[in-house]
Amino acid sequence: MLGYVIRRLAIAVVILFASSFLVYILAAYAGDPLEDLRQSRDPNREALIAQRTAALNLDVPPVLRYFLWLRGAIGCVVPFGATCDLGTSLQGFEVTELLSRAIAQTVLLVTAATILSIVIGIALGIISALRQYSGLDYGVTFMAFLFFSLPVFWVAVLLKEFGAIRFNDFLAEASFSPVAIVLAGIVVGLVVYGASYGTTRTRVLVSGGAAATTMVLMLGIGASGWLRTPFLGIPGILLVGGLISVGVTFLIAGFRNKRALYSGLTAVGVAAIVYFPIQSVLGDDASWLLIAGLGVVTLIVGAVIGYAFGGYDRSQNIRIGALSAFFAGGLVLLDRFMQSWPQYVGHPRIRNRPISTVGSSTPGFDEGFWLSGIDTMTHLILPTAALMLVALAGYSRYSRASMLEIMNMDYIRTARAKGASERSVVMRHAFRNALIPLATLIAFDIGALIGGAVITENVFAFTGMGQLFIQALVIVDLNPLMGVFLVTGILAMVFNLVADLLYSVLDPRVRVKA
Amino acid sequence: MTRRTRILGMVAVGALALTACASQDSTDTATGTDTATDAATAERSGGTIRVAETNAFTSFNPAVGANNLDINSKVLGTMRSDFIYIDNELNIVQDESFGTYELVSEDPLTVTYTVNESSVWSDGNAIDRGDMLLQWAVRSGYFDGDDPEAGPTYFQYAGSTEGLGLTEMPEFDGEQTMTLTYSQPYVDWEIAFGLGDAMPAHVVAEQAGLADEAALVELLETATPGEPNEELQAVADFWNTGYVTNTMPSDESLLLSSGPMIVTDMVADQSVTLGLNESYGGDLAPQADEITVRFIGDAAATIAALRNGEVDIIAPQPTVDSVTEVQGIDGVTVLQGSQLAYDHIDLSFDSEVFADANVREAFLLTLPREQIVDRLIRPINENAEVVNSQLYLPSEGDLYTQSVEQNGSDAYAEVDIEAAQELLDGATPTVRILYNSDNPIRVDTFSLIQESASQAGFVIEDGGSPDWGSELGTGTYDASIFGWISSGVGNAGVPQLFSTTGGGNYSAYSNEEVDALASELMVTTDSDEAEGIKRQIDALLWGDAYGATFFQSPGLVVHSDDVQGVEYMPNQTGVWWNFWEWSLNS
Repeated sequence: MLGYVIRRLAIAVVILFASSFLVYILAAYAGDPLEDLRQSRDPNREALIAQRTAALNLDVPPVLRYFLWLRGAIGCVVPFGATCDLGTSLQGFEVTELLSRAIAQTVLLVTAATILSIVIGIALGIISALRQYSGLDYGVTFMAFLFFSLPVFWVAVLLKEFGAIRFNDFLAEASFSPVAIVLAGIVVGLVVYGASYGTTRTRVLVSGGAAATTMVLMLGIGASGWLRTPFLGIPGILLVGGLISVGVTFLIAGFRNKRALYSGLTAVGVAAIVYFPIQSVLGDDASWLLIAGLGVVTLIVGAVIGYAFGGYDRSQNIRIGALSAFFAGGLVLLDRFMQSWPQYVGHPRIRNRPISTVGSSTPGFDEGFWLSGIDTMTHLILPTAALMLVALAGYSRYSRASMLEIMNMDYIRTARAKGASERSVVMRHAFRNALIPLATLIAFDIGALIGGAVITENVFAFTGMGQLFIQALVIVDLNPLMGVFLVTGILAMVFNLVADLLYSVLDPRVRVKA
Repeated sequence: MTRRTRILGMVAVGALALTACASQDSTDTATGTDTATDAATAERSGGTIRVAETNAFTSFNPAVGANNLDINSKVLGTMRSDFIYIDNELNIVQDESFGTYELVSEDPLTVTYTVNESSVWSDGNAIDRGDMLLQWAVRSGYFDGDDPEAGPTYFQYAGSTEGLGLTEMPEFDGEQTMTLTYSQPYVDWEIAFGLGDAMPAHVVAEQAGLADEAALVELLETATPGEPNEELQAVADFWNTGYVTNTMPSDESLLLSSGPMIVTDMVADQSVTLGLNESYGGDLAPQADEITVRFIGDAAATIAALRNGEVDIIAPQPTVDSVTEVQGIDGVTVLQGSQLAYDHIDLSFDSEVFADANVREAFLLTLPREQIVDRLIRPINENAEVVNSQLYLPSEGDLYTQSVEQNGSDAYAEVDIEAAQELLDGATPTVRILYNSDNPIRVDTFSLIQESASQAGFVIEDGGSPDWGSELGTGTYDASIFGWISSGVGNAGVPQLFSTTGGGNYSAYSNEEVDALASELMVTTDSDEAEGIKRQIDALLWGDAYGATFFQSPGLVVHSDDVQGVEYMPNQTGVWWNFWEWSLNS
């Protein structure tokens, strides 16, 4: 195993050298770094050209210039003792500084989108695999291919038009037209009909109920102005938290384990009880550190509740208690953000148009943790949605295929034959194994993500790795360009290795030979 | 009207407006005895005005060659006061609330500059001798060695040292008044010195390790030009690199302002926030309380941001699509205009084909200039017109018209294939045209020329290349289509482009008369005379069939109707030229 890793790393270094040379030469010949100066008619044009030539070593041919760059860059790859010098950009910034800032922006942009697309994509894939050839399966397949084939800049344009410009217009009214309510009801009804199973009568009843609930909710939201002054409150937390808890219990333990169900519900109840006391902790001086700390406390409390319920399988109770507490705590947090929402929307810098189409924050907006947190979210929501819609399609297809393959395996039939419940067959026997091929995919994708989402960054005016790369390429500023290449190249190879190793760990049939 | 009288007129109007502004503060209860306009008597609007810019801010010192980006100049422009500013008709307007300058003598050319005692940096330090001396040292290149290869080179100044290079060490009368004496007359003396991009001397001195501003003054007055000097090198090093930042610097001395506004917040690659400079006492006090600048590279994204009410003023890349889109938005004002960049075709005088004047004339006669503008530019800027002068642009108004009337460009106003065929007399010369094949407008220009010139018998070879810039002046082509960017004010570019030894003369053009006139132009301090010389050069260029000019690049500014006072400006300052007049509707 160790030998294998060392061999892979050694090959990686060779590849890195060769490819960095190739990229350097290609980029150097890709454009003219003096183009703008050549068009200048200032009398000092020659002096400016001389200045830039000196700054970029343009008098050295690219093949040799690569080694000038390499001399500093090699310190970044050698782990000990050497200093990392990736040079400076044309504007005079240290490339290492540019990189760290760009990576932070990229991570901010892609983290939520990645997590959401993995979770939702896999869930959709699994569900559509379980309901193969149903209306739902066809629907998910259709949507997956639709989003997969849409270019991201086009998705972004649509999102900006409907998710930001028109949604902000709509917020001024914040009530739904009767046509919209009926249409939404019909759509929800159809989706639920496709997803539900059982006799036609049950399915009609269920989907009818869902449609009616949707319409009533929309009416209520419109009439109460909920969108302008949103809140959950204790009833909301009990209701939504309770539903989540029941769902979690169904997936992990099944309803036969009453203790598990009760520990989940108790955790939600505790969250509702501490709702008022906790408000004073969530004051204006809150921080992400505090939130993370509270999150840990919540998990522990939930686990303790699960433990206290006892029974033959305490670990199940503990997991359900902890998860339920975590989600209920999340709802309390969400409620706290909602309390600050009207203040945010009415802020003079926001001017009643909360959803933003560019950048990662409103310039000059510094109004404490909650409002600034909302500001970040209103800026991230559209790019996150755009990235998610496109990436989600891929995950749902992979997980559907993987799940279908597993469900046709002999050991699944065996599990059914020995009388395991359908829940147990799906969740325990099939689901876990279906995730193995996805683990490689995800490991690889995460490596690629840091490379930045060039187009998404551009249309949403984020300045992450993709923008750093493109802008450097346009003005043929090789130092930042090579910096991006170095980071993405190393990450790609490392995660590739991680994916291979992960596979051998997860799947006993695969073994790495040293 | 000549430029001088126009300048005087503008100064007069400016002064009137300024007195009106000044009276507004002191006479809140005055009963309208002055001639103040409505705008001047109105209350300040306050509020935040948000501007979208394409490129991100990188440095507080755009006078450094590497950091000489438009965006840096725009931001710094709100943070510096100067003796003059340029208005959107390209006139020089004096700001006497900051300081004054005076032409004392024409021979030798002597100019005095006086900064008002009320003009201070935002930390209270006076703008005086040290600041002027440092700025002079930067703009004159006085201390640099004669041979740039041998060094020493101190300040990496982005502008030209041509003008102040003619001056001796300035003399001071008190701390506020400086006298510059030129060794020979200089045509652009009025814009040669200024404090519009000056760095505070007391800060530069301290950051460079000197004791204080007085030490810097002493250093500058005693250092020997052309010889290495460690202390001066430290000063120059800080000046060259010390102002590079795109986050809020921890050292507030980097943020000092002498202008109406001062940076209050910066987010790297995202935004710069400008607030009011409390210590500003000049006349160009802004209507708004705050201006935020957001950096949005993508044109479609800027338009969406304007529609979503996230920004108030945008200047997206003008294309047919963007113009159509912004014209369809409610509640915004679209300002269409021309930039000072213009496309032109130059004929190579060292090519065999164009050595013959008849062939040059014949070629120019085939250029479908009207058609090029009509097809390529009018869809973007409906007011676009063919440029008919090598030295002036339509944006310059009367000066342009006067030159066009006499420069002989009317001979090429229309395509005349028959006349071209007559001149060619049956010959079929091959012309290789160099252009940027990555620029769609240049590609289309080339196609239109090719189509038209072929009719007269020319064989047009496609010399288009994405790497066209490095081919310029190498003699591998017979004609080249590319763009020049004019500064709009100043004449230093003329010998640069058209004299035999000019650095921008890629066409090997050589005309002794033009050379003589260009040299004369550079030593002409009277602006009427200078314009007369330029008109003569213009006529000679067209007479020699030097080449032809096509069009000014279109410009586009869109602003929300919530903002008033935004005016189109053709030069690189863009809408920022009158930022103090922007106001918000309440």
